[in-house]
Amino acid sequence: MLRMKNVYKSYNGDGYALENINLHISPGEFVFLVGASGAGKSTFIKLIFREISADSGEIFVNGVAKSISDLSAKEVPSLRRLLGIVFQDYRLLPDRTVFENVAFAMRVTEAPKDIISHRVRHVLDLVGLSHKSDSFPNELSGGEQQRVAIARAVVNDPKLIIADEPTGNLDPETAWDIMEIFRQINEHGATVIMATHDENIVNNLNKRVITIENGHIVRDRNRGFYGE
Amino acid sequence: MGNKADSIIYFFNETMRSMWRNGVMTVASVTTAVVSVLILGIFLLLFANSHNIARYLEDSVQITVYMQDDARDDQINIIGSEIAALPGVVKVDTVDKEKAMERFKERLGSNAGILSALDDNPLPYSFDVHVDGPERVTEIIPKIQGMSYVESARYGKDVVEKLFQFTRVLRYGGIAIIILMGMGTLFIIINTIRLTVYARRREIEIMRYVGATDSFIRWPFLLEGIFIGVFGAVISALALTILYSSVIDKIRLALAFIPVLPTWPLMIWIWVALIFVGGIIGVAGSYISLSRFLRV
Ligand SMILES: Nc1ncnc2c1ncn2[C@@H]1O[C@H](COP(=O)(O)OP(=O)(O)OP(=O)(O)O)[C@@H](O)[C@H]1O
Ligand SMILES: [Mg+2]
Repeated sequence: MLRMKNVYKSYNGDGYALENINLHISPGEFVFLVGASGAGKSTFIKLIFREISADSGEIFVNGVAKSISDLSAKEVPSLRRLLGIVFQDYRLLPDRTVFENVAFAMRVTEAPKDIISHRVRHVLDLVGLSHKSDSFPNELSGGEQQRVAIARAVVNDPKLIIADEPTGNLDPETAWDIMEIFRQINEHGATVIMATHDENIVNNLNKRVITIENGHIVRDRNRGFYGE
Repeated sequence: MGNKADSIIYFFNETMRSMWRNGVMTVASVTTAVVSVLILGIFLLLFANSHNIARYLEDSVQITVYMQDDARDDQINIIGSEIAALPGVVKVDTVDKEKAMERFKERLGSNAGILSALDDNPLPYSFDVHVDGPERVTEIIPKIQGMSYVESARYGKDVVEKLFQFTRVLRYGGIAIIILMGMGTLFIIINTIRLTVYARRREIEIMRYVGATDSFIRWPFLLEGIFIGVFGAVISALALTILYSSVIDKIRLALAFIPVLPTWPLMIWIWVALIFVGGIIGVAGSYISLSRFLRV
């Protein structure tokens, strides 16, 4: 699903944010990316959806023929349609309803209207927000907003979901609700890569854990725990 | 039908929604477009009229030939046809003594009363000789002066040449000013639309995260640009039409000797030109302000 080979990334030339990263993630895996603040987790996530480009090395995503770094600006949209991206700060459009926020991701693919509305209702059901379909983001709690963002990420049925600290702004209980949704999505076959600080979540889910320190992968455990 | 039609409806809705939501910005953009296109339109009208005046002046290059007072009518007629036969002469109008007097009275207007003191008509017999271009004048005048019974052949040389210089300046200056105005309008619209784009940068960012192509993002903005440009152009064309017809009415009354172009069909061209320019400038403005933004 995802393969990185000798990937280097520096921001201003002064040292690497990621240095010689090599890894392979198979379809259907659930992977936590952990590490201290500034370790390079967000950099890793951003490389996958080509928010930034690697200095050298290769990054392959299933379904894309070229290395992500070799994609031209014109090819980036089709990469992003293969991915579902979830951020810590939800990134919803404040002036659109829940339904519109989710439908948005399908409109850009120029999907037909009836398919869009059918599919949007389905994913809102999946995240348990059917009844809030006409609400605006500022009428929702943080957890509900994050569920809308997840619905938006999965509406195009991507095979790879990447999330950068999706529970970072939520209280522990709400965080667990969100994790439960990710777990379900993963069980339906999508690969999930999630950067997180949440020790509790990592230790309880018993999934693959990749630990980054100072831009290096220092541990990669299949049924891992936070910090060991 | 199907996907494309859905997308087009979507773009249209997006445009309307954006213009409505950014109401103040929309009003500001349209106002800018109105003002710029209005100024452009005023220059177009000035240009069209100065061009018209220049043509009129060129057409009306004429030499006035005064005959000697003792020339007989038949001799005068012969000279008239000799002049008409000269190469470059388009038309010869005969102005006999009565006609000269009429013209003189006309020119005096309400002061014509003073002429009743005259018991004889002192005005000479003359010809108005129209030639096919100002360059001809210098070669034709000596030929006419060489004819018998001709008192003098005159041509308001300095005045006409100055007028020609003036109309030339108007023509080329007009074109330059119109181009400058067009560029100024474009610049203002680019900046206004850039503010709209900036206000929606977050939305654009999110569109890109979910895989929108640049052209998908661009469309609603381009439509918005066309709307702003065309709508602004319609308003200013309307204002210009009303303004122009009232101004030329006044000119016709007060300065009748200036050959102004009538409102129609001139205004049809102005409408077409302004709407076209408005639309183009709107699209170009959107495109340019967006492409700076979309560049990663
Ligand atoms: N845009 C940028 N310009 C310059 N340096 C950057 C930029 N983004 C990140 N860095 C640097 O790269 C390194 C890795 O940053 P990154 O954001 O990937 O860390 P992180 O693991 O996500 O941290 P956190 O847990 O705080 O989110 C840090 O040293 C950071 O200062
Ligand atoms: Mg981070």
